[in-house]
Amino acid sequence: MTDEPVLSVRRLTKSFGPVRANNAVSFDVGAGELVCLFGENGAGKSTLSACLAGLYPPDGGDIRLGGAPVRFASAADAIRAGVALVHQHFVLVDDFTVLENIVMGHERGLFVRYQAARAKLEALCRRYDIAIRPEARVGDLTVGERQWVELLKALYHDARLLILDEPTATLDLRESRKLFRIIGELKAEGVGLILISHSLDEVMQSDRVVVLRQGAVVGERRTADTTPEELTRLMVGRDVARAERGIRHAGRPCLAVERLTVARPGAAPLLDEVSFTVAEGEIFGLAGVAGNGQKPLLEAIAGLLRPTSGRVLIDGEALDELSVHAIQQLGVGHIPDDRLVEGLVGEFSIAENIALGGHRDAFARGAFIDRAAMRAAARRAIVDYQIAAPSAATAVRTLSGGNAQRVVLARELAAARRVLLANQPTRGLDVGVIEYIHAQLLGKRAAGCAVILASSELKDLITLSDRIGVMFQGRLMGIVEAASASLEDIGLLMAGKSREAA
Amino acid sequence: MIRIERRAATGWTDRLLAYVLAIAGGLAASALLMAVSGADVVEGFSALAEGAFGDTEAMRQSLIAAIPLAFTGLATVAAFRAGIWNIGQEGQAFAGAMAGYWMSLQLAGVPGAVAVPLVLLAAVAGGALLAMLAAWLRTRCAVNEIISTMMMNYVVVYLLSYLLAGGPWTEAGSTAYHQTPLIADSFHLPALGGVHLGAVLALAATAGLAVLIGRTPLGFELRGLGLNPTALRFKGVDVGRTVLAVMALSGGLAALAGASEVFGINFRLRAGVIDGLGYTGIIVGMIGALDPWGTLVTALLFGALANGALYMNVLSDIPSALVPAMQGILLLFVLGASVLVRYRLCFRPVGETA
Repeated sequence: MTDEPVLSVRRLTKSFGPVRANNAVSFDVGAGELVCLFGENGAGKSTLSACLAGLYPPDGGDIRLGGAPVRFASAADAIRAGVALVHQHFVLVDDFTVLENIVMGHERGLFVRYQAARAKLEALCRRYDIAIRPEARVGDLTVGERQWVELLKALYHDARLLILDEPTATLDLRESRKLFRIIGELKAEGVGLILISHSLDEVMQSDRVVVLRQGAVVGERRTADTTPEELTRLMVGRDVARAERGIRHAGRPCLAVERLTVARPGAAPLLDEVSFTVAEGEIFGLAGVAGNGQKPLLEAIAGLLRPTSGRVLIDGEALDELSVHAIQQLGVGHIPDDRLVEGLVGEFSIAENIALGGHRDAFARGAFIDRAAMRAAARRAIVDYQIAAPSAATAVRTLSGGNAQRVVLARELAAARRVLLANQPTRGLDVGVIEYIHAQLLGKRAAGCAVILASSELKDLITLSDRIGVMFQGRLMGIVEAASASLEDIGLLMAGKSREAA
Repeated sequence: MIRIERRAATGWTDRLLAYVLAIAGGLAASALLMAVSGADVVEGFSALAEGAFGDTEAMRQSLIAAIPLAFTGLATVAAFRAGIWNIGQEGQAFAGAMAGYWMSLQLAGVPGAVAVPLVLLAAVAGGALLAMLAAWLRTRCAVNEIISTMMMNYVVVYLLSYLLAGGPWTEAGSTAYHQTPLIADSFHLPALGGVHLGAVLALAATAGLAVLIGRTPLGFELRGLGLNPTALRFKGVDVGRTVLAVMALSGGLAALAGASEVFGINFRLRAGVIDGLGYTGIIVGMIGALDPWGTLVTALLFGALANGALYMNVLSDIPSALVPAMQGILLLFVLGASVLVRYRLCFRPVGETA
């Protein structure tokens, strides 16, 4: 082995439109070294790995493999050069077998040499003790098994550099340990490894940690010389100021969630015994890395997802078996996280979108839609919520993201007489709109609503919330008082460490 | 450099112009087809026009031919606007005719003023039930409605074959004709100005569907379902129930095509008598831009084409098979225009980037 690092990245930059996803990122990966990329959602980790694996061309900077500069035109290029990416989202063909998925894209000549490929695959499975039949159809495999197929795909091409993008998100504890055993073997063979993970337990098993924030490297530590607390502080950034929100109205409990569980066959539950209450005039923040149960929790409260067990109560009344519509009639507003798919009908006008959901009640007169009432409500919304649109008849498809979200807000804040569920209400919006939405949420709090706010922006959560619940793998890891919470506390909970253990 | 850009919005004048151009283009392509097949284009078109609009009798026949196409066309509008691909207008039209005929057997001797509404009601119920079966299969068992409605077309047609070819409905002593006995006069749809009641019903159905889609909560859900069912579900709309209602509506409309043909024109149920009305109805609805009034206009055009084709066949040596070909050509041109009108060409000097 030479001293030359397997991978050397210098000033790599990648932008999407005005957004700098990676800004002059530099780091090295040595042979037999496990380097962890650590950062919040949107810090640029996935973009960086996609650039390294040839999926995106970088805008600037150098990538060197074993000292030689490389420029990949495609993912196939990168694989030939010995760089393999194990995807966070599976890229497998369900109707193909494991073997077909692995040889796919690397057939040479007229015929696929399945015999040789199969022998090689079986040898790999034996060597790393992975129990997968080559002729199993991928569609029949569990989510965890598919993760092994992704890994085998990478190992099959004798990678020099292996990038693992959140590989344990779908594995249970036992399988995660097995993965780290395999990682150990690969290190011994001199393979360079990059691990992207949100779990501090896993991060602490690496050799070195590169912390990214807003596309830039903000710190690099030898794992042996750092602590989870320090890494979390680096990840989030230091200064968080709390906005003045007025005194907290010590209201009575309004929304209660009791041991709410949503199970899935063949996979970890979406929600696992979640319990908490939210009082009138309280904002309950939900923190957590995306995909740890925040969305299922809000959808279960809204009646969109049926719980396997447990229940939700509003003002002491259980919502069991109530329809989505009936729950909305109780005064529950829901701002879904994907506004153009879940919140709005793009081809509908502002007026029609405002009426959506109330089109059989408030906006119906006899057998007909009350179009006058619909237009009047839309005009009011345009004024009250400062929606920049020529008229109530404008299709929301043509509005900017911020204005489309104002339409959702207008409808849902009006509906939220008791409870407001807000999932990532400010995602992808500019600062002005974000401040506006924050003011609206605080207004609902002042009006005595119970508000649940899920956000990936920890700073916003701390600024707005009274208490913050932290979710990890479908469980509520803990609830902290926002006024006294430290970022480290929340960060540790987000990474799956309960407070006692941390 | 020429680039294609999506337009932000298309006005109705743009769309009207596009449709007029498409129909002109479709007729020109049809003329080319005629010329290539060795026929006299002028003679062909004038025979077609004379057969369709030559005198009041020709126009009356054109109108009668348009009636069932209006119903199957409206059935297409109702389903397709909701994003439900009902291809079963054919089977639903047959089911309507059969249910109506069955009802007429039950009502022997009942006066027409009572019998006719009941027969029509039975027909609508028959078509609606058949369509709702497909809706139920879709919401409960995730069976694709394209497959289920299409396959049910065959089931219904062969069920009718059984009933007519020696089965219980076969006319005594004429097994070879595969038909029922004539229906008693009291069940005939009354004629108004030489055109049976179906014309009035078609007009009413067009207006009714336009109001339903544009002005009622069900129509609101129907349109929303076709555009974004997820947002509907998030706002508490029972999507399964809406699919069921929309399919019942679509099947009921298609059924009226079968009933109006049997009780307005043929006065007996015969195998093959309404073949193709359902499939042509899909074309009619599509060319009508899935708009009720546009569909009614298209149905009138297609009725005239079908009626004129009969005359053309007698008068000239142009095969009447050219008419279905023309219908297909028109559909392709109109569909193409409806996509193209959403884009525009941008001319830009080479080297300048957007």
